[in-house]
Amino acid sequence: MKQKVPEQLTKVQFSNLDKILYPKLKITKAQFIEYYVKIAPKMLPFLKDRPLVLIRYPEGVDKEGFYAKNAPEGMPKWVKTVKLYSETVKRHVNYILCNDLDTLIWLANLAAVEIHIPLSRVDAREKPDFAFFDVDPEPPATIQDAASVALLLNEKLEELGHKVYVKTSGKKGLHVLMPIVREYSFDQTRNFVHAIGKILMKESNLIVSEFPDTKKPGKVFVDYVQNSQGRTMVSPYSLRVTPEATVSTPLDWSELKKEIKPAEFNIFNVPGLEKDPWKEIFLNPQKMEVK
Amino acid sequence: MEKLPKKSRRNKKQEVVEEQKAPNQGKAMQTEEPQKEERAPVSHRSMWSGSISVGLINVPVKLYAMIFDRGINFHFLHKTDNQPVKYQKVCTRDNQVVPWPEVVKGYEVSKNEFVVFDKAELDAVKPESDKRIRINKFVDYFSVDPVYFYSTYALLPDKSKEAYSLLMKALETMGKAAAGRITLRTKEYPALVHAYKGALVLTTMRYGYDVSDPSDFEQLQKLKSPEKSELDLAKKIITDLSGEFDISEYKDTYREKVEELIRKKLKGETITVEKPAPKEEVKGLMAALQETLKQLEKK
Repeated sequence: MKQKVPEQLTKVQFSNLDKILYPKLKITKAQFIEYYVKIAPKMLPFLKDRPLVLIRYPEGVDKEGFYAKNAPEGMPKWVKTVKLYSETVKRHVNYILCNDLDTLIWLANLAAVEIHIPLSRVDAREKPDFAFFDVDPEPPATIQDAASVALLLNEKLEELGHKVYVKTSGKKGLHVLMPIVREYSFDQTRNFVHAIGKILMKESNLIVSEFPDTKKPGKVFVDYVQNSQGRTMVSPYSLRVTPEATVSTPLDWSELKKEIKPAEFNIFNVPGLEKDPWKEIFLNPQKMEVK
Repeated sequence: MEKLPKKSRRNKKQEVVEEQKAPNQGKAMQTEEPQKEERAPVSHRSMWSGSISVGLINVPVKLYAMIFDRGINFHFLHKTDNQPVKYQKVCTRDNQVVPWPEVVKGYEVSKNEFVVFDKAELDAVKPESDKRIRINKFVDYFSVDPVYFYSTYALLPDKSKEAYSLLMKALETMGKAAAGRITLRTKEYPALVHAYKGALVLTTMRYGYDVSDPSDFEQLQKLKSPEKSELDLAKKIITDLSGEFDISEYKDTYREKVEELIRKKLKGETITVEKPAPKEEVKGLMAALQETLKQLEKK
């Protein structure tokens, strides 16, 4: 079943290209890899130098998948890895670094459906370069409720002089990211995000900002807990394990004012999106201030 | 032996004929432009004669072959001297060649256990050779499902053309087919006679006994009926894509390619074996790769 692509376009040897990975839409592994190839120019900057956590579904998203942190045995020599101590599993893990197209294609060929990234880079793991607001609606609250909370959040942060960026989680929530200078600890980013959440809670009874309140029905939790070393976030432009093959998609703030449906951002149309709302995210690292 | 396709049995005789014909055929292929609608040539030898009988009326007809399997036919040759090889019946016990007169038919009742018949015994129960296509009713031709169709033959008028022409016109204007039965060689078939391109044609059919009922497939037992909106959408797609069926839209590309190769070989050209083009799915992937590589280079 090995198929070699001529002209040395890639070092990767493809396998099982006709395997169906998303059965509802009959998406083959070839189409799946094609998505990651097309999105690579926009996605690679977010993967660079970040030890990855993958969720692999070699038998398709309706079958059992598994988390993969450790690079698999027998991988090609050209794949870069880094050995790091993992706080969560309490041992050393050989993480994959994806700094080039070939590695991304290789990951796709492993049926790494979801690609998750830490909020810091490998050269300074304890210094995050993003503060992460995970805007998570608890049913019956919907993505629309998450959108109004995210807009409030954006307004508040703008008042404080910050520029923040939003993406769909690809499921029901929204992710808001603030690029920051690499001077703070995760404790500081966590406290910052928590503090903003508390301010917002006073302004809208839709919002909860405390961890024990996460599962309150109809509320939107501004999750700060993810801001810690060893935690990860689904990468911008990663596919999700949903029947509709949704994508965690960077958006323009103006798009949130209209009604959004996460399923509208999927494997088929995201590569064709002209806009690149997060294009300048790395050009604008900010200092955090809390009034 | 029993399982060999019919063709191979007349291997030897045909081989000789083909051998002589081949160079001419090759030339014909070189000069002739493909016609607009290429059709098999008509047969010149009738294979049956009799009459269509409807009650007391008889329409005398001759039956001609009209369906030809014209796919590319290869012969097996001995690699070392290019001589045709042939099949022989050998006894499975001692591998000795068995001459025809020593062959009888056996019906396998259980593994390796046969009930043996000689020719006379089976001939006695064969359907009588009947010179009639006995029609018992007229049906709408398109009401008969093609799953029963076996093969189609041309019927041409024998002696009187009037009766033939009358029956043909009548069937044609009414869109009807005459349903009945015919005995060909030693087998009786259900049959339909209908008008096709200004001729009467006869289609032999299978018995219901030989066709399984697909609703017996377990996979079809619990089919969900679609939502109305889904059905409406499907119907719209079908309406949009509806058209006249045109057989000339379909080509046997394998045959065309092999014929091209034959032309080249006859001219003495050497054939280079091209690697198959990548499958559709890989094509999309490769196009995407090329585009992405270009984009990444720009950066």
